[in-house]
Amino acid sequence: MRQRAIGEVILAVEDVSLRFGGVRAIADVSFDIRAHEIRAIIGPNGAGKSSMLNVINGFYRPQEGRIVWKGQAHRAMRPYLAASTGIARTFQNIALFKGMTVLDNLMSGRTLKMRRGFFWQALRYGPALEEEIAHRRRVEEIIDFLEIEHIRKVPVGRLPYGLQKRVELGRALAMEPELLLLDEPMAGMNLEEKEDMSRYILEVNEQLGTTIALIEHDMSVVMDLSDRIVVLDHGQLLADGPPEVVSRDPAVIEAYLGVAH
Amino acid sequence: MRADREGATLAVVGAASQKPARVETAPAPAARAPSDLDTFPKLLLHNAVNWPDAVAMREKELGIWQAYTWRQVAEAVRGLALGLKSLGLERGEVVALIGRNRPNWVWSELAAHCCGAMTVGIYADVLAEEAGYLLAHSGAVVAFAEDEEQVDKLLEVGERATALRWIVFHDPRGMGRHDHPKLVSWAELLRRGAALGAERPDLFEAEVAAGRGEDVGILCTTSGTTSSPKLAMLPFGRFLDHVRAYLRADPRGPEDEYVCLLPLPWIMEQVYVLAMPLLCRIRVSFPEGQATAMADLREIGPTHLLLAPRVWEQTAADIRARMMDANAFSRWCFERGFAAALAALERGRRARLADWLLMSALRDRLGFARVRSAATGGAALGPDTFKFFLAMGVPLRQLYGQTELSGAYTLQDGREIDTDSSGLPFDNTEIRIVDPDADGVGEILTRHTGMFAGYFRNEVATREALTEDGWMRTGDAGYLDAKGRLVVIDRVKDIATTATGVRFSPQYIENKLKFSPYIGECVVLGQGRPWLAAILCIRFSMVAKWAESRRIGFTTYQNLAANPDVQALLAGEVEKVNASLPEGQRLARFLVLYKELDADDGELTRTRKVRRNVIDERYARLIEALYAGEREVHVATEVTFEDGRKGRIEADLVLHDTAAGQMLARRSA
Repeated sequence: MRQRAIGEVILAVEDVSLRFGGVRAIADVSFDIRAHEIRAIIGPNGAGKSSMLNVINGFYRPQEGRIVWKGQAHRAMRPYLAASTGIARTFQNIALFKGMTVLDNLMSGRTLKMRRGFFWQALRYGPALEEEIAHRRRVEEIIDFLEIEHIRKVPVGRLPYGLQKRVELGRALAMEPELLLLDEPMAGMNLEEKEDMSRYILEVNEQLGTTIALIEHDMSVVMDLSDRIVVLDHGQLLADGPPEVVSRDPAVIEAYLGVAH
Repeated sequence: MRADREGATLAVVGAASQKPARVETAPAPAARAPSDLDTFPKLLLHNAVNWPDAVAMREKELGIWQAYTWRQVAEAVRGLALGLKSLGLERGEVVALIGRNRPNWVWSELAAHCCGAMTVGIYADVLAEEAGYLLAHSGAVVAFAEDEEQVDKLLEVGERATALRWIVFHDPRGMGRHDHPKLVSWAELLRRGAALGAERPDLFEAEVAAGRGEDVGILCTTSGTTSSPKLAMLPFGRFLDHVRAYLRADPRGPEDEYVCLLPLPWIMEQVYVLAMPLLCRIRVSFPEGQATAMADLREIGPTHLLLAPRVWEQTAADIRARMMDANAFSRWCFERGFAAALAALERGRRARLADWLLMSALRDRLGFARVRSAATGGAALGPDTFKFFLAMGVPLRQLYGQTELSGAYTLQDGREIDTDSSGLPFDNTEIRIVDPDADGVGEILTRHTGMFAGYFRNEVATREALTEDGWMRTGDAGYLDAKGRLVVIDRVKDIATTATGVRFSPQYIENKLKFSPYIGECVVLGQGRPWLAAILCIRFSMVAKWAESRRIGFTTYQNLAANPDVQALLAGEVEKVNASLPEGQRLARFLVLYKELDADDGELTRTRKVRRNVIDERYARLIEALYAGEREVHVATEVTFEDGRKGRIEADLVLHDTAAGQMLARRSA
């Protein structure tokens, strides 16, 4: 088994409801995420998984409920607050800057950590230069970690899908997050790419101690990777627990894994 | 060409009939006579004392070239050697190394040598079983593994490696999951070494001083086209002596640059990366990874190069592939430029305009701009590829040698275009040809001052390999031409004769076929058969590009190889090669295989030579079908995937007749 101590609750979702007009995307859902764990959110299409991630990083404002993040209760998160206090994410449909190189994309992940203003950075002189070197070093460590040295200077748009996913993970890591939200990190990948991505996720979790919340459809991946699983269906919380419990839950099997009628 | 050879019975080229020896560029060390510097560790300390701040090697880390001076290298080696002593390593024991080309491999190897241990290098891409064989056979007590992947391999070997006491891993990533009692981290090794060093401050120097030139330093794996690899024992003194002879034939010095691209366990990389820098202080740079190798090479701009024939062929094929994508004007320039350069080359000159406009740009693009001496070896390189690079202005030279003979011992002098011979022997080398046939072709026997001291734990093989008076039977067939240059034809046992008595070298024809950008690997058949046939494998990258440009859809390698248009393309390539062959040696039939030949399936050696016996056995059904004149054949076979899993492939193959084959058929009808 993996060796790492799962800590206290780092983020709690409390009685959150989210509506778009008449559509109830999330209805009264509560669960928590503990430090250093890998937490999976699963559910059929339209269950509200991505909406839930969007609520956690403040992209959506829920109508009811609250988010407790690192001991502070928020009516709703805001993207800037989430990003600057240690929440990073990747997207279901890759959201990289296609025309920029891998290196520049990763450097963009460091923006919030840069102290010098636009003026100094534009001059690229003195303290701004020192700062850039330090950030570049961090980014190079991530490049090494994800084994993407060979595409360092390649524009992201020219890369195959599997590599773009890896670069996006890299950009999220560049923010040195405490909580990493991964929205279907393995969608559209072949077996080998999935194995690679699983390895990276485990290594991020083990070596950097990053807490991870991920949405994933590949059940074998979810069961292998995660410590605890939240199951959503039609915006409602269906089950919550470790993989071996959730996978045996009859309600989950019926709603998600499919059952012969 | 062969008619003007001197006496066909027995020709010896030795030290006496040599060209004038060139002066070694490395300045003679002032304090100690070279004869004292008879081991790698002594040379290392000598360099660290005399040139402490000169750069010895570079490695690209985090995107930046990190340089290590001789002092730093010696310090690193000292720490590791003390660490090894603290693990209880004794003189005469064996240390194994597995991993990619990195400075830490070289340091570990030198550290083992400092302790009086022998080292055996294992190719990074071997499967656990092969690694297990080498560990068990060598009786290695300590193994250096680069990362988790290699550690997993060594752990999988388990009890077979009975002598193995410690596995030192360099990269800690992913190692948190492991807690095996044999595992030691790099950092822990250095900690233990530092503690021992504090306790016994002169232990390291004493260990180095205890080394003797007769001590065996390297156990080098033979390529093993026929069986499990053997381990050639190479003593320091002899090895260094031979590399000195190499440096006299092809001088290099502290101002020169080399990039380490070939696998470190290979004999020539041991020569280039271990012995040469120690002797002449040529700087060695290690690229970031395989995928970045060529880009990193360009950044360094090496003055000396050694690449496998496959890499030269791939590079030439890549250039042609790029040109296929270029616009009409660029293509025109390229074709005219090369035609002019090739024509000039044949007349012994260089086409100045083409060189200035085209070739200098090409050389720069490839990172060959500063190359003064480029070599190819390990297998034959197709003559057309050879000329391609000469025309480009890359001073490419063929070398020839064996693991048992400390690597290369002949090298072309580069003074004239010579696509046939492997050049003149070094000044310490004697070559003779035994049992020559009517053409003067016989087995090549060699001896020199840097030979191996026998195979490790294999007396029988040693006796078989050496004659009573100490000549090494190379198993290669060849002859010495009028100028005393060695021409290698093929393996003696691979020179084949058809049922009609035509003698031919399968490898020679295979190299011609492989010059086609569309043919990746091939096997030519015909031993004891009425005529010649070939099994071809497409070069996937090139054929895929070709198919895309013609809007031919495909999914996998197998699917692409089976495409009728692709088969027609290859038929055209075969006809071109046939046109350049004498009538009796033309291919009559061929088929396109559904998979690539693969070292993991045992079809190629790790240095990518074809294992004919494996091919004959595995594809017996296909070969029978070729010679039975069948038009189609169904096959089902097992393949091994990269991760070690096995799977099945089923395919229907079409067998083709060439024009030569059809003519044969008509004649016999």
